[in-house]
Amino acid sequence: MSGELTVVRATTASRLGAVAGVAALTALATVPFWASAGDMRLLVEALTLLALAQMWNLLAGYAGLVSIGQQAFVGIGAYGLYYFGDKVGVHPFLAAGLAGLAAAALAIPTAGLAFRLRGGYFAIGTWVIAEVYHLLAVNTSYLGGGSGVTVGSAAALERGTREDGTYWLALAAGAGAVILVYAVLRSRLGLALTAIRDNEEAAESLGVDLVRAKLVVYVLAGLGCGLAGAVIYLNLLRIQPDAAFTVNWTAYMIFIVVIGGIGTIEGPIVGTAVFFVLRELLSGYGTWYLVALGGVAVVVMLAAPGGLWSLVQRRFDLRLFPVQRRLRLPPAPEREANP
Amino acid sequence: MEKQTGGGDRYDALVERITRRNFIKIAGAAGLVAGLAPVLAACGGGEEAAPETTAPATETVATTTPATTGGGATGRPLKIGYVTPQTGALAGFGEADTFVLAEMEKRFADGLDVGGTTHPVEIVARDSESDPNRAAEVAGSLVLDDGVDLVLVEGTPETTNPVSDTCEANGVPCISSVAPWQPWFFGRNGDPAAGFQWTYHFFWGLEDIIAVFLSMWSQVETNKMVGAIWPNDGDGNAWGDPELGFPKPLTEAGYTITDPGRYPNLTDDFSAQISEFKSKGVEIVTGVPIPPDWTTFWTQAAQQGFKPKIASIGKALLFPASVEALGELGDGMSTEVWWSPTHPFTSSLTGQSAGDLAAAYTTATQRQWTQPIGFAHALFEVGADALSRSADVDDKAAIAAAIAATSLDTVVGNITWEGGPVPNVAKTKLVGGQWSPGTDFPYDLVIVENAALPDVPTGGTLRPIPGS
Repeated sequence: MSGELTVVRATTASRLGAVAGVAALTALATVPFWASAGDMRLLVEALTLLALAQMWNLLAGYAGLVSIGQQAFVGIGAYGLYYFGDKVGVHPFLAAGLAGLAAAALAIPTAGLAFRLRGGYFAIGTWVIAEVYHLLAVNTSYLGGGSGVTVGSAAALERGTREDGTYWLALAAGAGAVILVYAVLRSRLGLALTAIRDNEEAAESLGVDLVRAKLVVYVLAGLGCGLAGAVIYLNLLRIQPDAAFTVNWTAYMIFIVVIGGIGTIEGPIVGTAVFFVLRELLSGYGTWYLVALGGVAVVVMLAAPGGLWSLVQRRFDLRLFPVQRRLRLPPAPEREANP
Repeated sequence: MEKQTGGGDRYDALVERITRRNFIKIAGAAGLVAGLAPVLAACGGGEEAAPETTAPATETVATTTPATTGGGATGRPLKIGYVTPQTGALAGFGEADTFVLAEMEKRFADGLDVGGTTHPVEIVARDSESDPNRAAEVAGSLVLDDGVDLVLVEGTPETTNPVSDTCEANGVPCISSVAPWQPWFFGRNGDPAAGFQWTYHFFWGLEDIIAVFLSMWSQVETNKMVGAIWPNDGDGNAWGDPELGFPKPLTEAGYTITDPGRYPNLTDDFSAQISEFKSKGVEIVTGVPIPPDWTTFWTQAAQQGFKPKIASIGKALLFPASVEALGELGDGMSTEVWWSPTHPFTSSLTGQSAGDLAAAYTTATQRQWTQPIGFAHALFEVGADALSRSADVDDKAAIAAAIAATSLDTVVGNITWEGGPVPNVAKTKLVGGQWSPGTDFPYDLVIVENAALPDVPTGGTLRPIPGS
């Protein structure tokens, strides 16, 4: 049997995709040198939402952790930025990074509570825990209480410095989230996650450490959402607890991931693009804009349950991020020679 | 080659089956969030938003081209950004926007004269959706995308503060109103020694509303027991602040306050507060809840047999729609009055008196006058006046300097930042009113207290709430 079956990961599309990705990343990194401040601000919003969506994708699409409480980490990131920037006095850009780490650290005890629940109970449980963090922020007058706070350290930065720094941090969060998910899925952990996604009990019986795999993913998602939250509020400058911990953050993540395609790395990228196009076109129509968003979600769910990217994937067999393993049969002539 | 694709198809089919199965679980959760979020929003906003079905598209762009006839040259268009809550729990504050914007479009049809040059005026109106995040976002897009020369914003600290912060950080002049000045100034870490460089505010302060409420309460015989419902938000924390808020002056005036503590907005059960008020024999209720919360509180108070003699409420009882929502229970509620058709002021832009302006609103919309009409109009008065006096409209610092030098008689009274309590704050006068059964509409706001502005005629004194 010289004609062995071979396992292939990269495809032509993914190699081209890698080149295009590097090119896009380079182009995005130079944005502050040529784009207007308004475009940069829009990109900051898009990149931070992409980071959030990618984290939710990692949780729900790969680790089976359907969390409706990721706004907890957005809020922790926001208040971490304020705490480290205004109270401790470190540079706001560094404070944003520290806020991400703080969110990751708080994800560990949060997981200790949330992981006692499964399925729908886990989803609601995470929401309840997020509300607990919300109420803590609302009732801590040191952090401004219900009135909210202005991130003075960031507002005091020179305008150009603040805009450029915020943008690069947003790019780091958005691109970092994509690369992180890709790296995780290519790793040993990724294999475990795929097994968990397909069947938890079977994965466990094969020796996959469920709790460890899920905990790592949950902490990584806490880090990503915390960093994204800090960058969002570097951009907005005013933190109000109801707004920082609003469940809308998670609703956006779910919308983007479901529209784009859950369980694919490309999906959240497509979903973010669709979301921003819809918002820019329709947000002037008030309530009708929300109706349109809901309508789009319903249509996509019915017509393409795997998301928009699944249509592309099915039609063209296109995978830009090769995380799956493909079995290739030996070329036909060789097989004929070895019947 | 064909066989390979066949293998791919099998693999895909497997993946698809798995993702489809998982998808149903996830879609369920997603549907839950998507389904609940609007419900939560509706709980808060429904009541106020419901009458807003005729509200404008949230983005109104009114461009005017000057019909220049001889004389002055034509300059570049001046852009004015305008942010208000048009939808959501605070929608009442944006109720007059369509009307005011249409008036402004008419007024600016001939452009605005700045030092002999006529500039077309473009107003870009944006909806904050009653959400501080969204308010900051739209302010950022006004400043950075639309490149506005001036931002006007009104309607509670949750709207004015994020917008003012964005303007301050980006160096764009901003005039705000309709939020007591303490939460606007101290809520943004304002330093009374330094003030702000780009942001200016005009409205009354807590000292005014305390004086008005105390004066109204003195008109009715009570046991001086006051129950407070102050929410945990910008206004509630300022009102309840032991030093700067209500507690100190009320205690000095001989009142005893029962303060059950800050509650979160959109609370649906006030039984604890109501029973505490009942046990302390409270006869006066005061507070600054958002409109849906006051409806909840007052309805539950009636159910549980709590009947105070006086209910003086800020924010929630400003608008006719909120009082009508209470049905018969709305009779006798009292509130602060920042502007009314009987205020003895005229507009510097249109020459209309306060009464004319309110009548024009009712004619145009078939709706009862509401206090934001005057202040939304005045914001444009102050903004247009500052732009027309600025030495150079292309220099934002010159526009800010012109705002600082304002002394203008507007439809809400004289506005000047000279001699304010802190830098960047100009004060307007406040009187008190009581909702009483009306003639053309279910309830009329009758002025019952006018110590600060005796030219506003009173229509009687404060009546105890019927049935108390």
